[in-house]
Amino acid sequence: MPDPAPIIVVKDISKTFDIPGRPPVHALRHVTNHVDKGEVLVVIGPSGSGKSTFLRALNGLQPVDSGSIVIDGVELTDPKTDLNRLRQGVGMVFQHFNLFQHKTALENITMPQMVVLKRPQGEAEEIGNRLLKRVGIGDKGGSYPSELSGGQQQRVAIARSLAMTPKVMLFDEATSALDPETVGGVLELMKDLAADGTTMVVVTHEMGFAREAADRVTFMDEGAIIEEGIPESIFDNPQHDRTKLFLSQII
Amino acid sequence: MIDVILSTMPFLLEGLWMTFKISLITIFFGSLIGTVVGMLRTLDYALITYPLGAYIHALRGTPFLIHLYFVYFMLPATGISWLQLEAFPAAVIALSLYTSTYVAEIVRGAIEAVPRGQSEAARSTGMTALQTMWYVVLPQAMKLMIPPMGGVYVIIIKGTSIVSVIGIAELVRAGEHATQRHPRELMLIYGMTAMMYFAYCYPVLRLARWAEAKFGSVRLPS
Ligand SMILES: Nc1ncnc2c1ncn2[C@@H]1O[C@H](COP(=O)(O)OP(=O)(O)O)[C@@H](O)[C@H]1O
Ligand SMILES: [Mg+2]
Repeated sequence: MPDPAPIIVVKDISKTFDIPGRPPVHALRHVTNHVDKGEVLVVIGPSGSGKSTFLRALNGLQPVDSGSIVIDGVELTDPKTDLNRLRQGVGMVFQHFNLFQHKTALENITMPQMVVLKRPQGEAEEIGNRLLKRVGIGDKGGSYPSELSGGQQQRVAIARSLAMTPKVMLFDEATSALDPETVGGVLELMKDLAADGTTMVVVTHEMGFAREAADRVTFMDEGAIIEEGIPESIFDNPQHDRTKLFLSQII
Repeated sequence: MIDVILSTMPFLLEGLWMTFKISLITIFFGSLIGTVVGMLRTLDYALITYPLGAYIHALRGTPFLIHLYFVYFMLPATGISWLQLEAFPAAVIALSLYTSTYVAEIVRGAIEAVPRGQSEAARSTGMTALQTMWYVVLPQAMKLMIPPMGGVYVIIIKGTSIVSVIGIAELVRAGEHATQRHPRELMLIYGMTAMMYFAYCYPVLRLARWAEAKFGSVRLPS
């Protein structure tokens, strides 16, 4: 059961992309949300609805125009906040893995620990090897990203984030770029993490995962939250036409 | 013919030594300045990138000879004592600045060719912008820089001959002197001069090739 102490509090954030010569894009419109400790929030919505922008706002990769974001008591949107320090506590897993191409799988996990947390190499490697086992590729530590399958690379990326012992993990379409046969394994791993009590915000098109692993589902469209609730109410009894339309298209 | 070779050889070697010195010092400082300028140009601050862009375009859009005259003849005309430069430092300064503009564009191009996702992943683990540059972006950009850098170095080595116009006895100048003493051996003397350039430049090209192979061509994610 999620502990009802919010670890992420998002209040009324908006973000407009203004590219000269093009109409402005309202990627986020007055979005308010929160994530409790141990909660799994799944964000769904059509392409371009602002899901990635929302997720990237949560670790400051995407600054917002207005509104406030508080992560574990620290206001991210306060210009005085040390974003580097805050990001140590917020793990992020990307659609395209983004493993450091010049580093082995193990080095991908040890390098941030050593550089950011100043852990000694021995300790970082011990943690790295343990996490590689946990994500199911204990024998791949010496491989370079180019030698790994997409599914294996994404496991390394998850391990890299976990090594920083984050308070929250963000997943942006973590399985969208994977071959169909490797999707299931990575989703299983994410369910394991959820079952272990990891606080997670997950953007995904995998409705099976959302139904099974989510404590709460948020549906976004055109930069706004249209509707949200427990998976059963969103999937079995959607209230808004746009939610119904989206669900009918995706299933 | 042998006696011509023997008598001009020491002379030419002295010129080669001068070419070697000037080009090495130039490559060192040009690369240093160029790397810093190139890295700064990738930042998002117009206050930094605009002046640096102007610097690069001003130097690249004008002939090197003008830069050399500027440093050697015009700066001393200001009357400021520390701007009264000897030929050698003047040549090295002008050449280094010129070289830095080419190095800067190579460095910037290579840094920008490293996919954004690499630095986003680094930043999201809490690494600072500087740590990200040092541990993630530069090592990958380096591999992209090596081949074009070798090319620039060779152009600079050959280009140093132009500093003879302010009286520096580098290799081409030494060859000219030798032809004045042996006016009928033009072919031989210029042939020797060319061979010496080749003996210097070829290993540089091989070295760049070797470095490229050793560090591997990077496989960048799509
Ligand atoms: N860096 C950017 N510059 C300009 N427009 C952007 C940028 N990032 C996102 N957008 C636009 O904002 C909207 C929302 O994008 P995004 O958050 O990526 O949607 P989603 O992840 O739901 O597909 C889209 O219209 C997209 O084109
Ligand atoms: Mg997206």
